[in-house]
Amino acid sequence: MATMLNEKPNAEELPSTGAAGMILDGRYLPPPEDKDGKIWIRTSALIQAEPQNLYELWRNVEAAPSWQEQITQVIATGERTSHWAMESDGKTIEWDAEILADEPGKRIAWHSIGGDADTAGEVIFEVAPGGHGTMVTVLQEFRMGKLTSAWETIVGRNPKQAVIENLRHFKALAETGEIPTIQGQPNYDRGMIGKLKASTYGETVPTPSGTNSL
Amino acid sequence: MKAVCWMGTSKVETLTVPDPQLLNPHDAIIKITRTAICGSDLHLYDGFIPTMEAGDVLGHEFMGIVEEVGKDVTNLRRGDRVVVPFTIACGSCLFCKKKLWAACDNTNPNAHLAEASYGYSGSGLFGYSHMMGGYAGGQAQYARVPFANVGPLKIESDLPDEKVLFLSDIFPTGYMAAENAQIQPGDTVAVWGCGPVGQFAIASAFMLGAARVIAIDRFPERLQMARSLGAITVDYSEEDVSVLTALKDLTGGIGPDSCIDAVGLEAHSSQLQGVYDKVKSALMLETDRPSVLRQAIQAVRKGGTLSIPGVYGGLLDKVPFGSAFGKGITMKMGQTNMQTYMRPLLERIEKGQIDPSYIISHRITLEQAPEMYKIWRDKKETVTKIVIDPWAENRV
Ligand SMILES: NC(=O)c1ccc[n+]([C@@H]2O[C@H](COP(=O)([O-])OP(=O)(O)OC[C@H]3O[C@@H](n4cnc5c(N)ncnc54)[C@H](O)[C@@H]3O)[C@@H](O)[C@H]2O)c1
Ligand SMILES: [Zn+2]
Ligand SMILES: [Zn+2]
Repeated sequence: MATMLNEKPNAEELPSTGAAGMILDGRYLPPPEDKDGKIWIRTSALIQAEPQNLYELWRNVEAAPSWQEQITQVIATGERTSHWAMESDGKTIEWDAEILADEPGKRIAWHSIGGDADTAGEVIFEVAPGGHGTMVTVLQEFRMGKLTSAWETIVGRNPKQAVIENLRHFKALAETGEIPTIQGQPNYDRGMIGKLKASTYGETVPTPSGTNSL
Repeated sequence: MKAVCWMGTSKVETLTVPDPQLLNPHDAIIKITRTAICGSDLHLYDGFIPTMEAGDVLGHEFMGIVEEVGKDVTNLRRGDRVVVPFTIACGSCLFCKKKLWAACDNTNPNAHLAEASYGYSGSGLFGYSHMMGGYAGGQAQYARVPFANVGPLKIESDLPDEKVLFLSDIFPTGYMAAENAQIQPGDTVAVWGCGPVGQFAIASAFMLGAARVIAIDRFPERLQMARSLGAITVDYSEEDVSVLTALKDLTGGIGPDSCIDAVGLEAHSSQLQGVYDKVKSALMLETDRPSVLRQAIQAVRKGGTLSIPGVYGGLLDKVPFGSAFGKGITMKMGQTNMQTYMRPLLERIEKGQIDPSYIISHRITLEQAPEMYKIWRDKKETVTKIVIDPWAENRV
């Protein structure tokens, strides 16, 4: 027991291990490095909703197209398995996924099990320090393959950015019931350069519908 | 519909674009009855704000009649008369809950662009670059208003549009500037810039208890307006006038209790400093011209407060931070948290405490807007505020 500080009125107990390897023995750890053909992304968002509700929204895999970019269809094929389709510019890539860990209100971990993707990830839902909402942390790895190159070339986002954007959409949907968009609003003809810019801004990636079945 | 479009630096045109549609469940479509051009629009016109694209509809100060609402808008109906705030807020994120509406997390569809340049994204704004959301603006006949259940303020009295239009930006902005100045009863407050934001900052400083307000600008008609509100004026362009000396002279040597920079990144400067900043920004070593900010830091009294409603966009050079530290000053700034101020300020207008329409100098049609941008930028006429009636036909 340390005695040098005996007055910490609102301090919370430090977790011995933090979500997605972020804290270990009181130290912050950076996300895993990209190497050996594997890329990693770790990102988090503070969301004003209960962990349980957020878990349910995420766990409802068939609703994923409403908040994940470019996902056209997800079909639950079993308790823990699902079939995913991603489409862009008329090209479709498909894969199957399996849930490895399912802790209601706390954590979901998954990996791909064949098809055009080689990916694995987990999402963790924790009450944020001070009860200021729910901290949602996603850790995902990709092996370069059809999925990652489809993302880069057709979708115009690298897979890391896509994970970040999807978490942003998830948060907007959970907090407000919709995902902000400007697609379909009026503007005067942008010309060639303007159209190119729209694509570098990511404005040509269709905003997911945000209509949620929950 | 007709809309004022940004077509490049110093290039604004009134063009025909498609009518806006409902895109999301909390959207409303507003038929615009009055809209205005803002000092902030001049930063766009002059090309100071990155990620404006040809074809973007300008304008963020507008009001009108609700034409159509999305399925989740519960507080507005077709036919309601509303003023729309320029910051778009969701009402449910952490920042909206803290009433920091301009910091809303969920209304910028291009948040990643802002994050890439600034490391964070604020709320989406109407007609103010793709980095700030890319939303089509309100210098048009119609506009789509997202999160219409949070932003638009219903006007139920029969006050004319011109008296309430400025609740969309500059009156709340001037008011928040005065609030941020932490004015104690009897304080002396200096305000740089007697444009619309400065005017409302002066008026609000008095409403919040200032004993004395010192207003600084160079345009006689704007200084005259400030005097008619009860301020002492300093014309910084007059030969022999040093703003710093004037502020010392007028405060017994200590400096104003609070200073308000209602000018921002395009501050004009008649001295060597101006040349310095021109060269630096031409060489891309700084993006903004912070001559007013520098002066305000130097002028404010020890332990005083500096409030900054004037917009800054990027990197500032030669800001006397040592002086700020040494004096122990407080600085408060930012885009206006509109939704906090609109209703209370509407009440002040309804009670007759203030008539914001006094600042209007020009009433024009949409077709006249491109010319007016130029006239204002070149200071060819005495412009204080330009209001557009988007349905008026051109009078020749
Ligand atoms: N914070 C916000 O949310 C918010 C909202 C609206 C406007 N603004 C900003 O507020 C600022 C003022 O807006 P406005 O509509 O009043 O603009 P404006 O251009 O009409 O007024 C600016 C005034 O500053 C004066 N000025 C220039 N250099 C000066 C100097 N060195 N010393 C003293 N005065 C000087 C000009 O003569 C002019 O009268 C702009 O930067 C605008 O972008 C901020
Ligand atoms: Zn404005
Ligand atoms: Zn919000």
